[in-house]
Amino acid sequence: MRGSLVLGSNRQLGTIAVVGGICGAYAALLIMVSAIFATAGSASGTGGLGAIFAVVSSVFIGVALYVSAVVIVNCVDTVLAGMLPRIALLRLLGSSASTLRAAVTRRAVAVAVGGGVGGLLVGTVAAWILRLVLIHDGVLKPLHYPVASGWLLVPVAAVAATTWVAGGIGTRGVLRATPAAGMLGAAVGVVATAVRPLRAGLSLVVIGLGAALLGLSAWLGEAGGTPLGFLVAFLGAVTTGSGLLLGARLVIPAVVSGMGRLLGDGPSARIARRNAVTNPLRTTRSTMGLVIGVTLVTTFATGTDALRRSVHSWVTSASQQRDTLSILSTVTVVLVVVILFSAAIAAVGFVSTMSLTVIERTREIGVLRALGFTTGQVRRMVVLEAAALACSAITFGILLGLVFGSIGAQSLIGVHTHGFVWGRPWIVLGAIVAAALALVFVSSVAPARRAVSVSPAEALRSL
Amino acid sequence: MTTTSAPVLSFRGATKTYGTLTTTVTALDGVTVDIPAGQFTAIMGPSGSGKSTLMNLAAGLDDPTSGEVWLDEHPLHLLGDEARTMLRRTHVGFVFQAFNLVPTLTAYENVLLPFDLTGRKPTAEGLAWVDRLFCELGLDERRDHRPAELSGGQQQRVAIARALGSRPRIVIADEPTGNLDTRSSREVLGLLRSAVDTYDQTIAMVSHDPVAASHADRVLLIADGRIVGDHGRCTPEEIASLLIGLEVDAA
Repeated sequence: MRGSLVLGSNRQLGTIAVVGGICGAYAALLIMVSAIFATAGSASGTGGLGAIFAVVSSVFIGVALYVSAVVIVNCVDTVLAGMLPRIALLRLLGSSASTLRAAVTRRAVAVAVGGGVGGLLVGTVAAWILRLVLIHDGVLKPLHYPVASGWLLVPVAAVAATTWVAGGIGTRGVLRATPAAGMLGAAVGVVATAVRPLRAGLSLVVIGLGAALLGLSAWLGEAGGTPLGFLVAFLGAVTTGSGLLLGARLVIPAVVSGMGRLLGDGPSARIARRNAVTNPLRTTRSTMGLVIGVTLVTTFATGTDALRRSVHSWVTSASQQRDTLSILSTVTVVLVVVILFSAAIAAVGFVSTMSLTVIERTREIGVLRALGFTTGQVRRMVVLEAAALACSAITFGILLGLVFGSIGAQSLIGVHTHGFVWGRPWIVLGAIVAAALALVFVSSVAPARRAVSVSPAEALRSL
Repeated sequence: MTTTSAPVLSFRGATKTYGTLTTTVTALDGVTVDIPAGQFTAIMGPSGSGKSTLMNLAAGLDDPTSGEVWLDEHPLHLLGDEARTMLRRTHVGFVFQAFNLVPTLTAYENVLLPFDLTGRKPTAEGLAWVDRLFCELGLDERRDHRPAELSGGQQQRVAIARALGSRPRIVIADEPTGNLDTRSSREVLGLLRSAVDTYDQTIAMVSHDPVAASHADRVLLIADGRIVGDHGRCTPEEIASLLIGLEVDAA
């Protein structure tokens, strides 16, 4: 039971284990598929394909690890924020902040690695099944494919390292709980740290640079079909994205509070809107992963859709068109599926943060009930908060993705096509919106039910 | 029954027990008492005597296990959660020990919250009343501040404005001075007293501070879930000796 004094319940650690698990499964699947490609490639003399897939996979695994890190930081931070009185008490009884931080981080790493290894097994088995299916269908030749790969150890190490760093960042809140606060039993308020102007300025400069690169790539694409245009577009999207991540704490809360205004102005909506941005850092972390996931999915879907539309406008033979379109749709499906994992990790994090934040607010909900909020109004408040957050993230991600994807396509084939073609991947966009609604539902139903199941008298007693 | 008008609050054999089949705690044991309109009643007793349970029942935050609780002639013991909530909105104002303002709303928004909840725009008269409260409570300059930006005394004054804002039939104050320094305590008690004197506001206050209770018109003593004393206005010294009497009797 050591370590469980601070961070121990399944609810709190579950998220970390699930995130570690998804990462592990994802990495294992990609690594094993790379290995299959490599074997099939060396047999048929097209080893290049396996190598490209391996490089692309590591980029995607990197994205998934980044999203996981953000989710874990938020999970640890949110759990600890709800436990500050207890932490303060432990500090009062003589625990040092660094001991507590180390205990929390160690436990988070252990849980994440446990989840990661479990995920790795699932992913490896999934790859075996995929291979057997492909051999059965005659897509792959029945060769001696590797059963496992030494590379599988890398994601486990990466998950451990990521959680260790995330734990370190997430436990910074422990330092806020002073032993004196434990003595008073007082709730420790949110410390709203201002965004440093240097960071804000740097973020603006980087975004500007990225936008300039995107513009340049669109022009390069129009001027002549050199591969340089696409490279510049890629750099532009990565630069703009990095700038937005750097300034996410400025951008995302602003987007959320703007979006929140659309919720109306009843008492439930107003409190939901304010709650959504009470802690800008937490708001940013719980939605950033969603923005990344949705942006990537939309970018690839939009890019290939723009290409598809352009292909239609070209005068080529019907069979040529059919071949190109079929390759494009396969590429879209593969890319979207590959990115879905990161989006899933972000969604897990979102659900966890929502439920933890509502638990943290038990007392406040008791007050609202005492003042005359009906159970329906409390439920609506929770749902609207989830809606404000999820819809902001998704709208923002879709807009970014539409721009990145269309510019990417323009940079490739602008010279062949008249004007600028906007990709409009309706099916994918519809699926994203449906997923967003499902996410709002999943992330708010349980917390809302929990919020109204506590009697107001009980909630007011709780500290 | 010494008063002529109908009581705002009426308990008839109200009993509340908590716990499972094996371990039952009787928080309130057949309490019968009336709180008449326009009076400031203090409810006193040692910790765990059932004071807070009594107030939770009065506000419809909790159900009695048996017996009746009437709020302004509405039978709370017969109403469902939704109906009790609606009644609470219009009939009950709260002042808590921990202030309990909504942290994301400004002082002014907190005070207007009970109006918002009814779904109607506050009337010009209602707004004028809130303005007057802000002015009288010395909060004019703090309107747009969030609770975290206010001192404890200021937060409690905002809470009082919120409780009085909708002109409820009764204000329930649960240890309203428990978290305040002596000066702020005196201010808060003075404000509650003047609400009774000036606007005929009915107030029921739970406290274990004899000084706080000395501001009340009536002091009810409660011990082990029963009403064990019902006194008129008392000095702090008298109240202190009544409380000591309770402890000595128990020993």
